[in-house]
Amino acid sequence: MGKKLKIGMVSPYGWDLPGGVQIHIRDLAEFFMAKGHEVSVLTPAIEDELLPSWVQSSGRPLAIPYNGAVARVSFGPVATMRVRKWISEGDFDLLHLHEPAIPSLSLLACWAAEGPMVGTFHATAPRQKAIFAVGPILEPAIEKLSARIAVSEMARETLTEHLATNAIVIPNGINHQFFKEAKANPEWMGSSIGFVGRFDEPRKGLNVLIEAVPEIVKANPDLRIIVAGPGESEDVLKGVEQSIRNRFVFLGRVSDEEKARLLKSIDLYVAPNTGGESFGVILAEAMAAGTAVAASDLPAFRAVLNDGKAGALFISEDVKDLARVVNNLLLNKELNLSLGKSGQEWSKRYDWENVAHQIENVYEMVTSTGEKVSLGSDLRGWMRSI
Amino acid sequence: MLIWPLVSLLFAMLLTVWYLSFTATRLDRLHHRVETTWANLDAALQQRAGIALEIARSGVLDPASSVILSTAAHSALVALPESRSDAEEDLSEIITSMVNIEVLGSDLRLKAFELTENLNEVRDRVRIAISFHVDAVNSTRAQRARGLIKFFRLAGRAPDPVRFPFEEIAV
Repeated sequence: MGKKLKIGMVSPYGWDLPGGVQIHIRDLAEFFMAKGHEVSVLTPAIEDELLPSWVQSSGRPLAIPYNGAVARVSFGPVATMRVRKWISEGDFDLLHLHEPAIPSLSLLACWAAEGPMVGTFHATAPRQKAIFAVGPILEPAIEKLSARIAVSEMARETLTEHLATNAIVIPNGINHQFFKEAKANPEWMGSSIGFVGRFDEPRKGLNVLIEAVPEIVKANPDLRIIVAGPGESEDVLKGVEQSIRNRFVFLGRVSDEEKARLLKSIDLYVAPNTGGESFGVILAEAMAAGTAVAASDLPAFRAVLNDGKAGALFISEDVKDLARVVNNLLLNKELNLSLGKSGQEWSKRYDWENVAHQIENVYEMVTSTGEKVSLGSDLRGWMRSI
Repeated sequence: MLIWPLVSLLFAMLLTVWYLSFTATRLDRLHHRVETTWANLDAALQQRAGIALEIARSGVLDPASSVILSTAAHSALVALPESRSDAEEDLSEIITSMVNIEVLGSDLRLKAFELTENLNEVRDRVRIAISFHVDAVNSTRAQRARGLIKFFRLAGRAPDPVRFPFEEIAV
C-alpha cells in the first residue's frame, strides 16, 4: 500500500496489565509504524510516564464487575472528554477500535467520532441475559463502523448472536520468525511439557493437567512441567502429593524472549483450557517455535490447530484422554517431530506479515473516499427515542 | 403433708409453660420482623435497580456508563434468589464508583435533577432497610442461639434467618 496513513487505535482495557487484546494492539501498532504509518494508541493506564511516546493515557482504568468477571475499563465524563480531545487533535485517517461492544474507551470513541472506523471483536462469550437491555445502546454505535473484524470464527458467532451484525475473520497475529529462531535453554529440555498463562484461572485448566500428571509419570518417569505466567503456585498445588509437586517448575511472569525460549526448549506444549477461549495465540506461538502442541478440543483450539492436523487434540476436561495424548507424543519421538514440523508450517498463516496485510487491505477499503475522522454530532438523541 | 411440695411443683410447671410460650411468641415476633424488614429491603432494591435502569436509558450518560449501569441493573432485576446477593453487590459497587467519578454526580444533577434526586433517595432507603434487616436478623439469631430455645425447639421449622454479603458493603 503506497499511501501512508495516520491511524488511531483504541484499547478498552488498561495498558498496565497486558492481556491478549493489549498485546495484539501493541504488536499491530509496532508493525504498522515499521511500515511507515503513523499510529497513536489511546488506552486506560495507571502510569503515564512509563508509556511509549505513541501511547496516550485516558486516565486510570476502573475495576468494575461486568458480566460475571472483573473488567478494568474507562468510562464517565473525564474519559469521554479525553477521547473527544484525542480524536479532534489526532487528525486521523481512520480509527481502529478494539472491542467496541465492551463499555469502555472504544465504545466512547465509536460514539464520538465520524468517518472511517474499523472495529475488531476479540471476545467470545455465551449469550448474555442482559444483552437485550444494552443492545439499543450498542447497536447504533456498532452500526457506525465501516468494517468489522472478528479474530476467530467463535468471536464472529458471538458478535452475530449478540448484536445481529456480521464481521470478516482475520486472526490474531504472531511474530513467527521470533519464535522460530528462539534459542533453546538446556535447563528446560528433556521430558518437559510447558504451560503458559494465568494458571490460577480455572478456565485455563492447569488443574486438569495436574490431575493427569500421575498417569503421565508412569510412562515418563523424568517428566517436568514448566509453568510460566502470573499466579499463586501454592493455591493450585494445594493438596497435591509431594512427588507430583516436585515436577512443577514455576517461572512466574516471563518476558517475550524467555517465553520464546521456553516454547523452543520444551518437548510438548499442553493447553488444557476448559472454555472461554476465542483464539489461542500461545498455541500459534508454540507451533511457530516448532514444538508439538496438544490442546483440549475447544472450537477455538480446533481451528488454530487445523482440526488436529497441526497439533494433537484431546477431549476437554478428560484427564485420561489428556494423559493418553501427552504420553503418546512424549514417547513417540518421530510423531512428535513431524507434528512440530506441520505445526510450524501451518502457523505461518498467523504471522503478522500476513495478518497485518489483511488488516491493511481493510484500512485501504475504508479510507478510499479520502474522508478523515472527525468529531461527530452527539448520538445521544438516539437514546432518547428508545 | 404432701400437698405443699405438690402445689409448688405444679406452680413451677405452670411458670415454665408460661415462660416457654412467652419465649416462643417473642421468637415468632422476631421471625416476623425479619420477614417484614426483608420485604422492605427487597422493595427498595427493586426500586433502586429500576431507577438505575431509567438513568442508564435516559441518554444523559456516556454510552459506556449506560451499558455498565444497564447490565448491572438488569441483572439485579432478573436475578434468581441464589444469585441475587451477588447481583445487588455488583450494582452497589458500580453505583458507588460512578458517584465517585462523577458519572452519577453533580454533572448528572444539572442534566437530570429528578432522576438524581430519586436515586439519592432510594439509596438512602436501601441503607436504612439494610440496617433494619441486619438488626432483625441479628436479634433473631441471638435468641435462637439460646440453650432453652434450642432444647425445646421453639423455633420450630422456621429457617435460620441470614444476612446477605451485599448488606456488608457501602450502597
